[in-house]
Amino acid sequence: MLGFLSARQAGLEDPLCLRRAESTRRVLGLELNKDRDVERIHGSGVNTLDIEPVEGRYMLSGGSDGVIVLYDLENSSRKPYYTCKALCSIDRNHPDVHKYSVETVQWYPHDTGMFTSSSFDKTLKVWDTNTLQTADVFNFEETVYSHHMSPVATKHCLVAVGTRGPKVQLCDLKSGSCSHILQGHRQEILAVSWSPRYDYILATASADSRVKLWDVRRASGCLITLDQHNGKKSQAVESANTAHNGKVNGLCFTSDGLHLLTVGTDNRMRLWNSSNGENTLVNYGKVCNNSRKGLKFTVSCGCSSEFVFVPYGSTIAVYTVYSGEQITMLKGHYKSVDCCVFQSNFQELYSGSRDCNILAWVPSLYEPVPDDDETTTKSQLNPAFEDAWSSTDEEG
Amino acid sequence: MSRKRHCLVPETFGLKRRRERGPVEADPLRGESGSARAALAELVQLFPRGLFEDALPPIALRSQVYSLVPDRTVADRQLKELQERGEIRIIQLGFDLDAHGIIFTEDYRTRVLKACDGRPYAGAVQKFLTSVLPACGDLSFQQDQMTQTFGFRDPEITHLVNAGVLTVRDAGSWWLAVPGAGRFIKYFVKGRQVVLGMVRKAKYRELLLSELLGRRAPATVRLGLAYHVHDLIGAQLVDCISTSSGTLLRLPET
Repeated sequence: MLGFLSARQAGLEDPLCLRRAESTRRVLGLELNKDRDVERIHGSGVNTLDIEPVEGRYMLSGGSDGVIVLYDLENSSRKPYYTCKALCSIDRNHPDVHKYSVETVQWYPHDTGMFTSSSFDKTLKVWDTNTLQTADVFNFEETVYSHHMSPVATKHCLVAVGTRGPKVQLCDLKSGSCSHILQGHRQEILAVSWSPRYDYILATASADSRVKLWDVRRASGCLITLDQHNGKKSQAVESANTAHNGKVNGLCFTSDGLHLLTVGTDNRMRLWNSSNGENTLVNYGKVCNNSRKGLKFTVSCGCSSEFVFVPYGSTIAVYTVYSGEQITMLKGHYKSVDCCVFQSNFQELYSGSRDCNILAWVPSLYEPVPDDDETTTKSQLNPAFEDAWSSTDEEG
Repeated sequence: MSRKRHCLVPETFGLKRRRERGPVEADPLRGESGSARAALAELVQLFPRGLFEDALPPIALRSQVYSLVPDRTVADRQLKELQERGEIRIIQLGFDLDAHGIIFTEDYRTRVLKACDGRPYAGAVQKFLTSVLPACGDLSFQQDQMTQTFGFRDPEITHLVNAGVLTVRDAGSWWLAVPGAGRFIKYFVKGRQVVLGMVRKAKYRELLLSELLGRRAPATVRLGLAYHVHDLIGAQLVDCISTSSGTLLRLPET
């Protein structure tokens, strides 16, 4: 570490190298910390979390009872012990609250004045953050499983919505109506995600085991259907291509948009090259997935080797993305974990679970690794616990 | 848990800590780390040829290769390379979409020819083996591929399905198959359940590997205990924990 700092100072190393090495070191040291927790507001399971991309300061959470809560993550008190306070919430008394469980919430990607939420009550609501009123409501015929708005798009304001029907709907925020429909899947759409690299590329995952990549400007169907066996590409074959051997529950692009991760109920996670749809055959082993609806997992951003954090039962499994090695399992929740998000400025992970808690995983401070050869030195007893007795065997 | 991660930390800064490793006992099955090809050569030795009167080629499973080659991504890549070079064929075994059987191409070819000797579909099978197998290394074949690229007519494709070389996957697509593999799959599924049951019935649902291998194989386990144990470890149906008395197999909690 000191070598890195002096090399950076002398200009021998790129400044980005030090930043990436330090971010990786911090992610490797993630654990529960007694000094940080998140205020508990939800009375039922937390389904979704989202941190705003502008400052990384505010977090939204959506629960199974339709409640949406807004938290401030920044520690402005001077003390190390800090509870992330809930600034405001849309609770059951609010006139516009969702009737059933909120499945996805997302901040407007360009500022924190607006956010969107979709729920099992077949609506997508657009909220004004400052007044906490709905600015617009989109109604659908089927329950909404997931929605996503493109984080990089400047030319369009489309929200992709995945519902229980096989058609992906694109809703335009500017005009307030559903602009078009993407057809191609055969069963419910469990996850949708826009590419963080290109404005118009969308990936959708469905219960019919297929993952499709679309260019929304193109009228004639999807670009690629991902095939786990990497067979030969031909038009007639498209119908038999499956990405997983079960429902595909979750989608996540890596932060540069070049690769796509998918998880399925066949307990596998796969990494795909997003430009040609090829399965990179990185093998993560068994990634237990019992969720009947979407699973929200996340990828780290800004580390030298990127990590993926996947909810695995009541723990969170951490893998390196490109080599498939399992780093650790983060244990702390009492019931199954539904969602997790990564705050890339401070390398912190927040996870929400069915036990109504949101836990904050914080990098632990650097402690020197104990050498096996050294004997343990002085004991560090609090003077209150020391007793005045001395035993004949040991020195007090 | 945190020990392992803190050991990874100096590595990210480019420093490597050298630690003295005590002598590690080599367990009977574990402790192999080599290429996928070496693993396959060893696994085909475990296959009981006499059980099927030499009519079946020796089949190894992908999960067994994972048990011998600890890094799965490397194992997958090496198997893919062997498949592209035409040295092995990967077969979809019917009972589980994830379980792939691996057979050396030479063994496959000789056994299939022997099996269809003198039968009416011998001609179609020979044509398939000579023209399609070397050209297309995939697990499955499509309708237009077979009719246009390779020039098979519908009756010939029916002959191939009757011979057991192709199995129906979907309308107009077929998996590659091994004739006579039904008996193998039956013994395999039964044996897997029985060996897993042996671990489940043990106290605390865990067994030392050496003790499991030392037990007498029940009559239903026809393929051999070692064969099944490799498969269970690689398919992550049991967790492998290294203890001071050897490797321990424990059923996972979930």
